[in-house]
Amino acid sequence: MRYITFALAKGRLAKQTLGLLEQIGITCEEMKDEKTRKLIFANEELGFRFFLSKATDVPTYVEMGAADIGVVGKDTILEEGRKIYEVLDLNRGKCRMCVAGPASAREQLQNGSLIRVASKYPSIAKDYFYNKKHQTVEIIKLNGSVELAPIVGLSEVIVDIVETGSTLKENGLEVLEEICPLSARVVVNEVSMKMQHERITKLLEDLKGVV
Amino acid sequence: MSQDWNREEDYVEGQELLHTPGGVRDIYGIECARKLAVEREVHDVMKSYGFRDIETPTFEYFDIFSKERGTVQSKEMFKFFDRGNNTLVLRPDVTPSIARCVAKYRREEELPLRLCYTGKTFVNTSQYKGKLQEVTQVGAELYNDDTSDADAEMIAMLVECLKKSGLQEFQLEIGHADIFRGLVEEAGVSAHATEELRKLIVSKNFFGVEELLNQMTISEKLKEVFVKLPELLGDLSACVSFVRERTESQRVHHALERLEKVEEILRLYGVSEYITVDLSMLSQYSYYTGVVFKAYTYGSGEALATGGRYDGLVKQFGMDAPAIGLAIVADQLLLALTRQKLFKDTALGGTVLLYPQELRKKALKLAEDKRRQGTSLQMLRKSSRRDFAEYKEYAVRMGHEEVLYLEREDSLVAFHVETGEETRQEI
Repeated sequence: MRYITFALAKGRLAKQTLGLLEQIGITCEEMKDEKTRKLIFANEELGFRFFLSKATDVPTYVEMGAADIGVVGKDTILEEGRKIYEVLDLNRGKCRMCVAGPASAREQLQNGSLIRVASKYPSIAKDYFYNKKHQTVEIIKLNGSVELAPIVGLSEVIVDIVETGSTLKENGLEVLEEICPLSARVVVNEVSMKMQHERITKLLEDLKGVV
Repeated sequence: MSQDWNREEDYVEGQELLHTPGGVRDIYGIECARKLAVEREVHDVMKSYGFRDIETPTFEYFDIFSKERGTVQSKEMFKFFDRGNNTLVLRPDVTPSIARCVAKYRREEELPLRLCYTGKTFVNTSQYKGKLQEVTQVGAELYNDDTSDADAEMIAMLVECLKKSGLQEFQLEIGHADIFRGLVEEAGVSAHATEELRKLIVSKNFFGVEELLNQMTISEKLKEVFVKLPELLGDLSACVSFVRERTESQRVHHALERLEKVEEILRLYGVSEYITVDLSMLSQYSYYTGVVFKAYTYGSGEALATGGRYDGLVKQFGMDAPAIGLAIVADQLLLALTRQKLFKDTALGGTVLLYPQELRKKALKLAEDKRRQGTSLQMLRKSSRRDFAEYKEYAVRMGHEEVLYLEREDSLVAFHVETGEETRQEI
């Protein structure tokens, strides 16, 4: 039997996904060992393989067919813009992609003035401001702690994921506009979907039952 | 990496010139031989179906490939200007060029024209995506034949091309461009929403489709079809009856009938085992108007061949001619064959005839005889500074089959690379 390979985004989401998979009878004992330094884990009996990768790399592994199935947040899917099938909403890790900043920035968003936008998601930010709001902005790509940008004056607003909004509040920022809702998704490689149609469809059906 | 400036000897003049730009690459050695062999095999199948060769220019005016006519977005084309300041592009695919040729040279012809080609195509994709920007396509186009027989023949021919190349496990998915168009038309979805819906269905985003439809006012039955559409693949009759019961669109009904006819003919070709349907298959190419198909196999992350009917394309060049075409991406096919370990040859082969200067005349005679018998033979004058062993190593390195060392006027030593055996032969 050919392996079906899963690429999972490291962190909480991977744990939740493994939990869901366990509910439908797909287990991976090797993976539970937190101290292991192995990179790839297998369930030989059922013919599944799993590996963890950085979230942003999951769509890449799936698009190129190195993994058949991936589990990753909608934010990463939008940002990476890869050609993959997005087949199931896991309803986990729900949050929103938002424009946030100090209350004073609200006006600048409305009068269409040239502002600076800091984000870990430059593609999403660009698409939102250029194609939806038709506002010319300067986008600054950052790699973390984006909330810092408006505080120290690197940018007027930020585009980032907001879950509860408490980090924003603590730093005197607030949600100014909502771009789209987000959650974890199951993505599938185009070729795998065709070549391993039966097994993958069965798996997705089962998953749908426990989501 | 740090550089040790004291080690001047590590620096070789010109070494910074050795690499190619991202997205293009050198193909050499056994890989090149395999690629050409695969291209030839596929091409030979097309020839055996009566297709005739055509060559079109590598670059053409931008308008030939612009929005309605092309397969690739404007920003993904390599563009440049000629001296008259016209925009030129390196062809992103060959089909529009051939349609242009047909409209130009065969305007009055009403009976079928069959043309096939092998050529490089260019797509200016962004970097670091692991995609080649230059690939070889082998394709065929059939004009002036709008029958279901033509549809089936092209699909059957694609199956044979892939089998001939050595591929064993593959799937050919067929769909029809009018199914989605007809459904959207019936539902009265706006152009903007259609595009959104198309994107969602293409990415098999079931729940996204449902969410979008819930915001629209369309009949429950149609909604059901759209939601189910990404799942409608596999068995034809089940898919067809599901859609048929829920739509009144003539366009969709015709499309479904066409698919059934094509499938019936494909059964006569005996290729049904390779065929499945995917009613949600929507080509990103807007020029397709009828049957569309894609071929998939293990080891290649994307489709390795695509094709379909495009009855409107030639019209854009001023001639009304139905047409159907297919294109196989040779590089994808090669990748799949390599990853599936389907190549049997392990070396390039060929013979090296090693001769000392004084036996030149004899050697030339021998070479002529061998070549006439069909041997690929390379002459090599033995240097007095190198011994036979060095030449044997050379043959191993280069993947030759054997070395013939003409030692004396009347005898030679034959070294067989694979077995390492040496035999003396009298001449």
